Amino acid sequence: MVPGLTFALPAVDGPDVRLSDAVGDGPAVLVFVHADCPTSLLALRRLPAETPLPLVVIAQDSLPDAARLARRARVRARVLVDAPPYAVSRAWDVTTVPTAVLVEQSGIPGTRVEGWDRYALAALLGVPLADEPPSHKPGCGSRWTYDQHAGGLDELEDMFERGWSDGLPVVPPTPERVEAMLGGRDPGRTLGAVPPVGGEATLERVAACAVLAGCRPEHFPLVAAAVEAALDPAFNVHGINVTTQPAAPIVIVNGPARERAGLNSGMGALGPGTRGNATVGRALRLCLSLTGGAVPGGLDRSTLGHPGKVGLCIAENEEASPWPPLHVERGFAADASTVTVLACDAPLSVSDHRSRSPGELAFVLARAAEATWSPFWWPMDDDSLFVVCPEHAALFAAAGWDKPRLRREIFDAAVRPAGELRRGETTPRVHESPDDEPIHKWTDPERILIICAGGEAGRYSAVLGPCDGMGTRPVTREVRWSM
Amino acid sequence: MEYVSPFDPRVAQPVHPAPRPRGLAGHTIVLLDIRKARGDEFLDRLAELLHERGAATVRMAKETFSKPASGEVVAAVPLHGDLAVEALAD
Repeated sequence: MVPGLTFALPAVDGPDVRLSDAVGDGPAVLVFVHADCPTSLLALRRLPAETPLPLVVIAQDSLPDAARLARRARVRARVLVDAPPYAVSRAWDVTTVPTAVLVEQSGIPGTRVEGWDRYALAALLGVPLADEPPSHKPGCGSRWTYDQHAGGLDELEDMFERGWSDGLPVVPPTPERVEAMLGGRDPGRTLGAVPPVGGEATLERVAACAVLAGCRPEHFPLVAAAVEAALDPAFNVHGINVTTQPAAPIVIVNGPARERAGLNSGMGALGPGTRGNATVGRALRLCLSLTGGAVPGGLDRSTLGHPGKVGLCIAENEEASPWPPLHVERGFAADASTVTVLACDAPLSVSDHRSRSPGELAFVLARAAEATWSPFWWPMDDDSLFVVCPEHAALFAAAGWDKPRLRREIFDAAVRPAGELRRGETTPRVHESPDDEPIHKWTDPERILIICAGGEAGRYSAVLGPCDGMGTRPVTREVRWSM
Repeated sequence: MEYVSPFDPRVAQPVHPAPRPRGLAGHTIVLLDIRKARGDEFLDRLAELLHERGAATVRMAKETFSKPASGEVVAAVPLHGDLAVEALAD
């Protein structure tokens, strides 16, 4: 073996592989690639399953990304992972991917082919390759060369390289920023282990996630409370983190924290435009996916996901609401600041500018909610969230309807005979019931949460369907400004 | 640059699959139903195929699909078989 060129790299499907293993039976061909390079993907797809010389693919990617690349390209060869800082690619002076290198059994490198060159690769491998265009395609820059050619470390790109992102740029969590985020709190204090991998959510790691998300220090107590709430066993964050469902945790903020953290509860309350709303929910999600290891496409198995999985945080518009706020309903003092976490689907907007009676409007909201989760899955046993806009709330309040009344009316309006519900995905309850047996959309009115939020003009409310079947319940925690 | 990592280094190591068996004959295989819809149908069919190949099967089940198996279930799997197959999804 040549000193400096030996390696032991993790494989996507098994234990580490050494160079001496790769050439144990004779010469082999190493193929360096990375997942963001179209030429790498083309080469992997076109290399034959059987070759006279064994192929070993070395991916300049994280383990999950390398595994995904191997699946996409249907690679039959061993796929090894040369993760940042790409020590093996650097040692082998691989400046372009794909690069195929013939290696003798002694470990001495021989002929190499850069990019996709059908004729040169066929000669190297000793096997003809399919005659389909293109026969030549330039390769891409090898990952370890990025910094050199950029003239220095690009911090934002470095965050992506490390996998410390949700797909959007993040703020690098330098020690100084994390310290400022912690605000003197004990960095080693833990809020618990985050499923599925069980990473400890120390305040320092939660602060790192808050920095990554773009929070300011005044947002951190909300983030910490949200993480604490999500780790309550009643929330079952394990199930929510790994499910094929699209569900995301929404953070609902009540009390003085809304103003102190600069949250928006008015126009566009569920939308973009306010740093606190955008970053608090994002910080929670980053903690769940990074510290908890629920990376989308990895242990997060969500089939589709939804845009709110980047982060979803709403403040109740207590000033425009005619009702006691959510945290008071849940037993907290009116002047307390709280976060409530709830697992839910994407918001379904309900436009209604025509209803003039509370019963009619409640029926409209109920009918919209009937389609959530799955149109024939009745009853649902997890919580749905209704975000009632101020104009709709005023209509209910003018008729003397409080939140419990509205909850009851929505529950009573979403009812159908079992005979109408026997389609596709439905419940054992529906199957076992006589045709005329009334089945409600929820098991209990208490499965309906109501908050008031949004601008004071426009009659658009929203319903967020549940993460059903997970046995999850909303959890509320008081925001502590010092801990 | 120095950064504060959001990852817990104690859990960053990849977990590799156990070595694959060379054959099935003579093995006792635990078929673990996680209680997802239709997982039992999948395991019924799998049991037939495994029996044809000379393996014995033992059926076990998690308490619920949405949470990790209890310690009791995890501990019991290797006591009942030397291989295991889990029906993961619906």
